[in-house]
Amino acid sequence: MKKTLGIFGLLVFVCAFTAIANPNFVNAYNIQNTIRWTALYGIISIGVAYVIISGGIDLSIGSVVGLVGSMLAWLLAVKDVNVPVALATVVAMSICIGLAHGLLITKLRLQPFVVTLCGLLLYRGLARYVTDDQSLGFGSSFEGLRSLATGALPIGGFSLPVPFLIMIALAIIASILLNFTRFGRHLVALGQNETAAKYSGIRTDGVIIVSYVFCSLLAGLGGILFALDVNSIQPSGLGEFYELYAIAAAVLGGCSLRGGEGSIVGVVIGAAVMRVLYNAINILHIPTHLEFAIIGAVILTGVIVDEVVKRVVAKRRARIDASA
Amino acid sequence: MRKAGIACILMGVVMAGCTKVPETASDTGAPAESDPIQLAFVTNGVDPFWNIATAGVRTAEQEFGVTCEVLMPPKGIVDQKRMIESALSNGIDGLAISPIDAANQVAFINDACKVTKVITQDSDAPDSERLCFVGMDNYKAGREAGKLVKEALPEGGKVMIYVGRLEQLNSQQRRQGVIDELLDRPIPAPDAIQYDPPGGEIVGERYTILGTRTDSFDYAKAKSNAEDTIASVPDIGCMVGLWAYNVPACLAAVKEANKVGKIQLVSFDEDNATLQGIADGAVHGTISQQPYEYGYHSVRILAGLARGDETVLPENDFYEVPIVVVKKDNVEAFRTKLAELRGE
Repeated sequence: MKKTLGIFGLLVFVCAFTAIANPNFVNAYNIQNTIRWTALYGIISIGVAYVIISGGIDLSIGSVVGLVGSMLAWLLAVKDVNVPVALATVVAMSICIGLAHGLLITKLRLQPFVVTLCGLLLYRGLARYVTDDQSLGFGSSFEGLRSLATGALPIGGFSLPVPFLIMIALAIIASILLNFTRFGRHLVALGQNETAAKYSGIRTDGVIIVSYVFCSLLAGLGGILFALDVNSIQPSGLGEFYELYAIAAAVLGGCSLRGGEGSIVGVVIGAAVMRVLYNAINILHIPTHLEFAIIGAVILTGVIVDEVVKRVVAKRRARIDASA
Repeated sequence: MRKAGIACILMGVVMAGCTKVPETASDTGAPAESDPIQLAFVTNGVDPFWNIATAGVRTAEQEFGVTCEVLMPPKGIVDQKRMIESALSNGIDGLAISPIDAANQVAFINDACKVTKVITQDSDAPDSERLCFVGMDNYKAGREAGKLVKEALPEGGKVMIYVGRLEQLNSQQRRQGVIDELLDRPIPAPDAIQYDPPGGEIVGERYTILGTRTDSFDYAKAKSNAEDTIASVPDIGCMVGLWAYNVPACLAAVKEANKVGKIQLVSFDEDNATLQGIADGAVHGTISQQPYEYGYHSVRILAGLARGDETVLPENDFYEVPIVVVKKDNVEAFRTKLAELRGE
């Protein structure tokens, strides 16, 4: 929990700063939008957190988002497949992708970086090939299905976007799995020291495979929601670079790229920081070409402040302990 | 289902391999046998707009007895350069290109001019040695879009502009055309257009241009840009989308905010969602630049040049494809014609 305090502080700071600079930031419409985007990126970030905690990496997330989104639109709008079959197909596809990654990494001992980097290229290429590189969309049909991404649950004067509810449910499940089950303990142990974990009787292969399946499954789910939300799917572009957003959110949220640590709450907050920053730049009418510079600078400053504060606190505590 | 998924993926890989191989083989092997004319038509990205241009390319291929490969770079300028380089190494007889960054691609385009016939289409590179330009006057088109904004908001109001990238000459010219029209500036000579910097508000007598939001071709970003405007500028009067997908993204945001009719939309190009929006009264109008004609005339001119016929070159090296202003009264006729061109 302590680890996520810093990033939470940054989130609060950015929100407060933007709200004071332009009160429109806190109107219900804007908050709903920001929450919806946070949820969409949060879902893929929760997935990659598992892989990062296990000590691995998944670079194929953006392409899985693109492939699943394109395939869903292609099956529904071009091939006239019915909704349950189309959803089942793309979900099965995501699971197969994760399974393939896990098997290649554990049984063939290939490096996760290589496997998922090739995945990044392969799935993007497949998405473009299957759809003939044509932009796809659901038009004004499939309103019911699209409400999964665009719908909202009214609570008083406020509407909670459905993707946010989906993300919360996933975050709770992922948190319980990580913190209160044997699988979660094995995952952390594996991330800290794979050899030690293996010698203490943990079936590390199984844990790694499950973490990659989980990651691709959530990337696929993200792909479904992105496609339904945006409603204009460009096979060559949908999801591009989203793996970096996901990895950044996970690392900001306290996951160590060396593996063995991380918290799901932190990851969700990390995803929120990224989205709030993008939103703030538009709300404050900062020119879009300054976007990356500002996001980079704000996050870096936040991380530096967090680290310095932690060191000062630790030093003071050590001094108190010594004098006591 | 799992098996089906894997089979599907594997089949995809195998089929991709099968269909791609003969294409490249014919590119390298064929000229020696019967010497057919090989051309390349290079776009600036992947977009429905270019699918219509491709239809024009295909018609002209038949009519002028040439083959033309359509290359759509998915990732901007680096991909475009790579694709052109491989087309050139295949020994093509002519190249039509839509430069992504005209000013800085001059040297590269000139290199291509040394080995083959090069023309520009859609977006020009006037400083290069290209033989001619097939396209519309983007500044003029911007002014037409500005007139649509004036019609939609006769009392004046706040306007926000959306575009994928601002590096491209055509987006700069369109943007400036919209701004100059809204500020009632006089029409300058083509080489004397003054560009307002993209940051900061531009305040005119009746219209205020709040800014220009870019999204780097990311559709999700395009939509969230529009949402952020709706949130931060409650009295936004009109959104102008300079690229085909911008207004569909704005329209989705406007619909979700229940602001249809309250926020006017003015578009470029002929995305299905834009045309439907015009028919429904949610979009005021669009400036169509007839991409079909770009494809057709690029191939027509290159085919002539490859056969040594210089008379195909237009006057002043500019073949102007007229723009079409689509509004509610002509949208149905326009859609019917478009469907014919696309072969639907």
